[in-house]
Amino acid sequence: MTTVELPPEARVAESRPQVPHRPGEKRFGAGRVIALIILIVMAVSWLLPFAWALVTSLKTEADAGATPVSWLAPHGYTLEAYANVLAEGNIPIWALNSLLSSTIITILTVATCALAAYAFSRLDFTGRRWLFFVVIASIIIPPQVLIIPLFYEMLAFNMVDTYWGLILPQVVAPPMVFILKKFFDQIPIELEDAARVDGANRLRIFWTIVLPLSRPILSAVSIFVFIGAWNNFLWPFIIINDTSLMTLPVGLQTVKSAYGVQYAQNMAMALLAAAPLIIIFLFFQRQIIKGIATTGFGGQ
Amino acid sequence: MTTSAVSNRAQATTGAKGDTKAARRRKDNLAGWAFVAPFGVFFALFLIWPILFGLYLSFTGTTLTGAGGSFVGFANYAEALGSSDMWRAMLNTVWFTVLSTIPLVVIALVMALLVDLGLPGQWLWRLSFFMPFLLASTVVSLFWIWMFNPQLGLINEMLKPFGVAPIAWLQDPQWAMLGVVIATVWWTVGFNFLLYLAALQNIPEQQYEAAALDGAGKWRQLFSITIPQLAPTTALILILQVLASLKVFDQIYQMTQGGPAGTTRTAVVYIFDTGFTGYRFGYSAAVSFIFFALIILVSLVQFTSRKGARS
Amino acid sequence: MHGQYFSSNSPLTRRSVLLGGAAVLGGAALAPALSGCAAAGAGETTYPLKFWHLLSGGDGIVMAGMVDAANEANPEFFASQTVLAWGTPYYTKLAMASVGGRAPDVAIMHASRLPGYAPGGLLDPWDTDLLAEFGVTEQDFPPRVWEKGVVDGKLYSVALDAHPFILMYNTDVAEKAGALGPDGQLVEITSPEQFLDVASAMQAVTGKHGLSYGYLGDGAQMWRLFYTFYKQLGAEMVLENGKEAQVDEEAAVTALSFIQQLLDDTIATKSGDYATAVAEFVNGESGMFFTGVWELPTAKNSGIPFDAQPIPTLFGTPAAYADSHAFVLPHQSAPDENKRREVYRFVSELFKGSIDWAGAGHIPGYLPVVESDEYSELIPQAHYASAADVLNYDPSAWFTGSGSDFQTYFAENVQGVFLGGDDPAEGIRGFVRRLNVLLAKPNPVAKG
Repeated sequence: MTTVELPPEARVAESRPQVPHRPGEKRFGAGRVIALIILIVMAVSWLLPFAWALVTSLKTEADAGATPVSWLAPHGYTLEAYANVLAEGNIPIWALNSLLSSTIITILTVATCALAAYAFSRLDFTGRRWLFFVVIASIIIPPQVLIIPLFYEMLAFNMVDTYWGLILPQVVAPPMVFILKKFFDQIPIELEDAARVDGANRLRIFWTIVLPLSRPILSAVSIFVFIGAWNNFLWPFIIINDTSLMTLPVGLQTVKSAYGVQYAQNMAMALLAAAPLIIIFLFFQRQIIKGIATTGFGGQ
Repeated sequence: MTTSAVSNRAQATTGAKGDTKAARRRKDNLAGWAFVAPFGVFFALFLIWPILFGLYLSFTGTTLTGAGGSFVGFANYAEALGSSDMWRAMLNTVWFTVLSTIPLVVIALVMALLVDLGLPGQWLWRLSFFMPFLLASTVVSLFWIWMFNPQLGLINEMLKPFGVAPIAWLQDPQWAMLGVVIATVWWTVGFNFLLYLAALQNIPEQQYEAAALDGAGKWRQLFSITIPQLAPTTALILILQVLASLKVFDQIYQMTQGGPAGTTRTAVVYIFDTGFTGYRFGYSAAVSFIFFALIILVSLVQFTSRKGARS
Repeated sequence: MHGQYFSSNSPLTRRSVLLGGAAVLGGAALAPALSGCAAAGAGETTYPLKFWHLLSGGDGIVMAGMVDAANEANPEFFASQTVLAWGTPYYTKLAMASVGGRAPDVAIMHASRLPGYAPGGLLDPWDTDLLAEFGVTEQDFPPRVWEKGVVDGKLYSVALDAHPFILMYNTDVAEKAGALGPDGQLVEITSPEQFLDVASAMQAVTGKHGLSYGYLGDGAQMWRLFYTFYKQLGAEMVLENGKEAQVDEEAAVTALSFIQQLLDDTIATKSGDYATAVAEFVNGESGMFFTGVWELPTAKNSGIPFDAQPIPTLFGTPAAYADSHAFVLPHQSAPDENKRREVYRFVSELFKGSIDWAGAGHIPGYLPVVESDEYSELIPQAHYASAADVLNYDPSAWFTGSGSDFQTYFAENVQGVFLGGDDPAEGIRGFVRRLNVLLAKPNPVAKG
């Protein structure tokens, strides 16, 4: 099995910042200075593509395409590239499509997976074991293997170039069932018993007791699914040809400028497409990191 | 799997009050299937059916245009297994996996170890290393096509002082795979970094304290405590990384389209090319299953070697 | 209109696309209302037409202008253009959209790609009577250009242009290199040796390179130059399904060896890509430039003094690689007849306005434009118009044509030769082996 998960409450975000936490450490020995220098070099290397993209996007096209390569812009920095990209009008439409499809996918995925996971965890129905086995075994199927038959199926359903064709096949997420089931397994059953004595039905118990207790895992799974859907490329690329239905990653890759390769505009588009998730990340860094770490091992 | 513990608990609580066992079971049965149904529909329609239908397609000559849907037996498999292109794609896949997995594990570990020292600027390190992971593949590709531009790119510019002649990173068969690997490492290393960081912070302090009392230096501690303690995490990261690398498509399709001269055409790129560009659905489905077999094979090897290492 | 899946119908303008998006956001319930918006407007109907093409750069700008002009002059339709990445990505998407049944209303394809699309039902045929109604008939096109669009007796594509591979040269550099004739045009060059001499002389003038030519990672560019020389050697290439490829290896090796001689890092850069070559020529850093006619606007905009001509006949037989941009109707499962009619109107408008297209460098397919006085005054277009007489489309097969895998395979086997390391004979043999593999497979677009 490839799905193994981390200790569920991986304490990633709760680090012990600033304070040297290993015993016997001096605050700034020679070793720590060297470590700091290495860290700085690595961080700068990792930020470099962002910085270069940003600087390029702020140049005029003439400067962006000029040699020798330089961080400076002889003609001055400008927001022209952004204005041009936004004036083309595609980016807002794609962003809307991305937001819409990722949101629907996340809601449907979390809802269906949570219900199924609860059933696998708590309800002793006939066929539970083999069904759960099939679901877990299916985790090994790479989605890439399905593109041909799935496209063929969408042709039959007349769903090529529709939102449904884009969304529905992305809703299947067996690893999430596994992760949620493991979490539900840990909830003390006694909490539910009281409600059952009062005659509450399963759905009610699930809704009023289990779900509120599962908020951390649900948000972790949601974050993971949403980021995955937002950035997904292969399936949306295959199923959508109509430019007005494309998501950001697909539109960016598929639709070109009629005016040729324009470096500043390319970088402006890339940064505009990257912005939403990065901004969300800056605000919810802790939750996202935690969500990724807890779900990561299951999500591949 | 841990299902047995659950069912025991479920049984223990049945008959808490009122209901007979049989009635309770009937209720559970109904509720169980009702709860599973929504997921089950998606699961059946978009996973089980396609995999079965794909298997069927792989034995036909079906094309994108719908022509040639007749049964051809194992002809597609025979052709694929005899095709140098197919093997080349599989080899490229394995090669990419090797080239990308090693730095993706090693660099992630180094990053995590350094950040875990508790140096100032914690949020900045995390942001720097993890932010690329949040980007869509398309954005990553746009960034790196630009970084790698032979004349206007930053990479060649930075190599210039070292006397390196401009390299056509993504157009030269010698360099293209490396170019794709560099972009991939930059993009996804932050994920492994997070997993390592989480694991590092779960190593009990007392172990270090005890080692320090025994007079073990920092490096000794690193090799005698930290790295062994991280072994399970390393194993998990390796498994996930290898499987993820084997399935590579996005950045390669976007940066090189499998070129130049087929040097970066991996299995999934080959599946896409033969199916959608070459129209040959049947053949492409057959290659998909050969690729699937490769994935299972690699998973099995990893699984057994891990089991061996554990015992 | 058929709005069974939200907003799969064509929106009228950008604004209504946004509105459509908003409608979707508000739920699918609004979809029926949305489908009505295409027909909104008092009394008259403006049909929104989705038009796909793969033209960017100079071509894209001109095409955008032509589309705008056509839209303005014809309230009956409003065509919105979508530009996709040139080559394989475009053709893959076009095929996928066509089988999906919600294809764009009209698209531009390379005429050379037709054998891979028309027989498989990916395209709908043109109704020649309806075309005639809008003033577009067989007599209006050069026979070979028109016939390229006919498959199995039906017309599937109508060519907007022919666009050969040509030679541009910097007249200043040429003059200083002593390579200009009394008429102010490049002297007639009739042999490979002479061409190398002229190029070297120009290199001495610019101090950088004599010739610009970019091909790295670009199979199309490699193929264009190779096929020009190959055809100049009088060689043929015949590709028939189920048979071995007929390729003249000797001619191929001659052509490739000559290209290796050119790419010696003195005459031309050994490893130039397309963009670099363009930049080099327009910055006056070289004297000559092997390129398609489509780079004419770029060269003109740069302000350098230049002229153009067909690629000199270095190997005896005048020949030029060429292709055509041609209008096609991607297959739709439920085409709206009235809308289709507007597609014909739109296309005929573009034909009639194709003098602008000639401005972009291409030789128009529509003869009334080519025969106009206006066209004969276009310089340097008039200097290379004769290339139209020696056009050579790709060898016909389902897998050939501009931006096809065919060119990718060519690049895979031959890029190493261009880069200077590999043996030309080995390269071409690898390519032929590849072709034979393709020819041995069943044709996936054949009927039945």
